[in-house]
Amino acid sequence: MALIRYIGRRLLFVLPQLFGIVAVSFFLLKMIPGDPALLMLGPLASQEAINEIRSVMGLDKSLIEQFVIYLERVLSGDLGTSWQTTKPVMEDLLKRFPATMELVTLSLLFALILGIPVGILASLLKKSIINKFSTYYGLLAGSLPDFWLGLIFIFVFYTILGWAAAPMGRLDLGILPPAVVSGSYFIDSLIAGDWETFNNVVAHLTLPVLTLGLINAGPIIKMTQSTMDRLLESDHIRYARSCGLGEFQIVRRAFRNSLPSVLTIVSVLYSFLIGGAVLVEIVFSWGGAGQYALSGVLNADINPVMGFVVWSAVLCLILYLIVDLLYFAIDPRLRD
Amino acid sequence: MKVLYLYCKDRPLIGFGYFFVFFLIFLAVFADLIAPWPPQTANPDDYLQAPSWRHLFGTDETGMDIFSRCIYSIRLDLSIAFLGTAVSAIVGTAIGAFVGYYEARGRLKTVFSSFTMRALDVIQSFPVFVFAIALVAIFGQGLYSIIAAIAFVNMPIYVRLMRTQALSIRQMRYVEAAYLSGLSDVSLIIKHIVPNSMGPILSHLSVNVGWSVLLAAALSFAGAGVEAPTPEWGSMIAVGFKNIVTGQWWPSTFPGIVLGLTVFSFALIGASVEVLADPVRRRAAIAKY
Repeated sequence: MALIRYIGRRLLFVLPQLFGIVAVSFFLLKMIPGDPALLMLGPLASQEAINEIRSVMGLDKSLIEQFVIYLERVLSGDLGTSWQTTKPVMEDLLKRFPATMELVTLSLLFALILGIPVGILASLLKKSIINKFSTYYGLLAGSLPDFWLGLIFIFVFYTILGWAAAPMGRLDLGILPPAVVSGSYFIDSLIAGDWETFNNVVAHLTLPVLTLGLINAGPIIKMTQSTMDRLLESDHIRYARSCGLGEFQIVRRAFRNSLPSVLTIVSVLYSFLIGGAVLVEIVFSWGGAGQYALSGVLNADINPVMGFVVWSAVLCLILYLIVDLLYFAIDPRLRD
Repeated sequence: MKVLYLYCKDRPLIGFGYFFVFFLIFLAVFADLIAPWPPQTANPDDYLQAPSWRHLFGTDETGMDIFSRCIYSIRLDLSIAFLGTAVSAIVGTAIGAFVGYYEARGRLKTVFSSFTMRALDVIQSFPVFVFAIALVAIFGQGLYSIIAAIAFVNMPIYVRLMRTQALSIRQMRYVEAAYLSGLSDVSLIIKHIVPNSMGPILSHLSVNVGWSVLLAAALSFAGAGVEAPTPEWGSMIAVGFKNIVTGQWWPSTFPGIVLGLTVFSFALIGASVEVLADPVRRRAAIAKY
């Protein structure tokens, strides 16, 4: 019952936020200097042709009416057409977003696997090297440009050592992608049980995941460490200690209580990476959604850009919704 | 100054951060005297030379000297970052002060406050980097677009920081007293609220400058920022990108190291300002002297 009320209250916020996102993207579109009709037809177009196009595109209507039309279009899933691929933007994005989400999700999983133990150890062993290391690792990882780190990894592991797969997309040229179920090659090849493809997918994932994971482990380490520091000093842990609980039990309990703040930082990183992974995508020719939007920016193809902006904002909203549900699962205080 | 010296004495890395930023500014100011080669003149005879005494960091595919270009980049990158941060801090602080001050003071003003905060929520629900790229796409490529984009995506943080401060300071007795003695809202905000809430804003500034350098370089790397022959770390890394696979590591590596060290230094300074701006933690940090 509490869960339903919680979700209901949470969903109340989603609608105005969605509305806001569409509104902002509409005004961004309107801010583009120049008359879109004129841009479409070129400078030599006759006045009649321009007027005709303007009325077809609804540009002669009031701003409010135009916004309503735009809202209807976006809500029905029509994000316009990209002149580069000559396909509907929606179709293109549906194909490319799984690639981005796959990369981002696996990178964050790696960052968590690396970050949480290091953070806990740094908090437990105050005087150790690991504590000093983790303090500066957070600052350093936040300072290194991820696209540069990716290039260095390519140089070391591909050019010199020859261990890694060529940084050219998600699969070797000769290998066919698995049957589409989720769009993520990692999951789809597992479902198909195709080990050859799976191994190839993993080989291509390794370097980009390593790059993004190492960079994003920084904030996770920092958050885990500072939360654990605070919790190990807290009353209930002191009580547990005075009751004679073993160190392992104590750490387990403290960590259980630090989960909400780790979850917060992960959700922030996730929402940043949906768009922020674009540079690493470029470096590894990943063919993800960010790369698609970027080539739109560089070639004055505005529909893919706006489509991507709306999509990633919506994905962020969904993400925050899931995160709030997870809070509900891990924080018993929210249940009453 | 003395406090800073004592603080850095035990923390050499923080000291390095301050040193490196001053060193960068020195290099930027005297770039014309220090850089051994002109930053934008291609020298086809010397293309893709490995690092040597003649070209400390080597040359790129058009034969431009990477060391000189790295030095000249400081001017551009730091200016973009300083300007972008300054604009967002000034505008964001102003908005935050008014929003915080007017919250729960008369109906219309409350509406204004909550509308601003909801608008911020929406802006922040867009992925930062994509939003910056979209802004550059809309304003057209160019220096001012980059600065505007950086200022815009950074602004919400300052509004929030300042609002929280203004909310609490507004309740203080001396502000009440000033209000009752007939000071107008605007001068109250300027004379009392803003000066008394600079602490958290200052400590965020330094981190923010470093972060803006990173964002500017990232935009340029993506091709939505500064364009190629202009010396800029991000675009230099992009130029050297295709040489990496064939084994010429230097055109991308060196600009990246300088860029990383710069951002790292600003982060170190930010970490120290956070401690030094808080009287209690400052005293604790230098307690043994």
